[in-house]
Amino acid sequence: MTYGAVVTSEEAARIAYERSACPREFFAQRRADGSVEQLSPNDVMLLRRVDVEHALKHWEDYSSDFAGIMGSEEPIIPLNVDPPLHVKYRRLLDPYFAPKKMAALQPAVQRHTNDLIDAFVDQGHCDFSAEIAVPLPCSTFLSLFGLPLDELDDLVRWKDIMIRPQSVEPDAEKALALQAATAKEIYGRFAVEMADRRANPRDDLISHLTHAEIDGEHLTDSEVLRTCFLMLSAGLDTVTVSLQCIFSYLLEHDDARRMLVAEPGSEVNLIEELLRWETPVQAVARRATHDIELDDGTVIPAGTQVSIGIASANVDPDGLPGADTADVRRGDLRNYAFGGGPHRCLGSNLARMELRTVVRTWHDRIPEYSLAPGAEMVWNSSLLRGVDHLPLVWPTEGTR
Amino acid sequence: MRIRIDEERCEGHGRCWETAPDLVEDDDRGRGVVRDPDAPVAPEHEAQARQAANVCPERAVILDP
Repeated sequence: MTYGAVVTSEEAARIAYERSACPREFFAQRRADGSVEQLSPNDVMLLRRVDVEHALKHWEDYSSDFAGIMGSEEPIIPLNVDPPLHVKYRRLLDPYFAPKKMAALQPAVQRHTNDLIDAFVDQGHCDFSAEIAVPLPCSTFLSLFGLPLDELDDLVRWKDIMIRPQSVEPDAEKALALQAATAKEIYGRFAVEMADRRANPRDDLISHLTHAEIDGEHLTDSEVLRTCFLMLSAGLDTVTVSLQCIFSYLLEHDDARRMLVAEPGSEVNLIEELLRWETPVQAVARRATHDIELDDGTVIPAGTQVSIGIASANVDPDGLPGADTADVRRGDLRNYAFGGGPHRCLGSNLARMELRTVVRTWHDRIPEYSLAPGAEMVWNSSLLRGVDHLPLVWPTEGTR
Repeated sequence: MRIRIDEERCEGHGRCWETAPDLVEDDDRGRGVVRDPDAPVAPEHEAQARQAANVCPERAVILDP
């Protein structure tokens, strides 16, 4: 199952909701029942820590080499490429997303965060999802790509259709058609930017890609476009839902909120623990390259779509005592929130920088906030688990 | 105690140099590099070393007695 997949039955929809709304309970029950969850006849999710660790590491058993993700006809780069070619792409791309680069981008993210907060801080209320969690990663993306901020609305529409097509078009068949058409539209848009940067290089990601070389050869147009498509598909909703997960937790744990306010810097460990505990990106997709037998005798037939259940493994206490409880002060439990093995999330340093910037800036400026009276947190039914609306209120000068 | 990083296992999660900044620094890809591989870990930095070994998702941070 992939994030852009459509849901066609009521039973599948109910399970998807339960998995998003109550993931710890859901996965504990599933792990008690067996080592895999059958999502559909040709699609299983690995649940146990031991199997997830193995699958992330062993691309020769669990391949990423397939197309069709989020409407893209071609494999996107580097997500759907296996070693050894994958290693070459990552050597090229890793430095661009290294922490030193992200530190240089941080002031722009800080500015965007402050601008977003400026727009509503005095009114004493906002929808955290619509007014921070969605626009912040989009504005970061535009900065990275050297695109003007007024393209933000297009970007939000594109990513909605790519990741959750049924949020725009409820009918499953029409949703897939819309998704494919939108993928073509996005490729076309990036092609225009790519041609411009070939002629007029600037200090942005598209220029970097158009001028980069692997083994003395420039990337082809197709390679550049498929890399841009990955950034768009992987860099927006992932950060949005992570922010939603973190703030949902804070709304229900006042001690954690107070810690953030009182102790600048405590957001680092809190975010790490909540990325593990909440695991906003619940699974990553692979395909079994041969018949694989797990140690409990379960056989995954060659060609099966395999969802690596990182949300389940992250809270599986078998092999890591304490993993089935949350403690926002500790910063010492390893986790796979960004996957692992050769496909470890390329943007993990970018995501961490964005999350830390928003969490710190918000609590410096709006330390006391709560869910609006009468509002409820309603979880989506996605493997990118989040809360579409988070109406918050806080005291202002007039009300304090 | 000595600390080292198994380069075969390392995938660049970047947790080691964040949790053990006195012992590990990041390279241009964000991977951890032990600052002084020949020196034993100073007693005041042993807690850092243990945390770095615990947080590494790939278990690439190795502590030798």
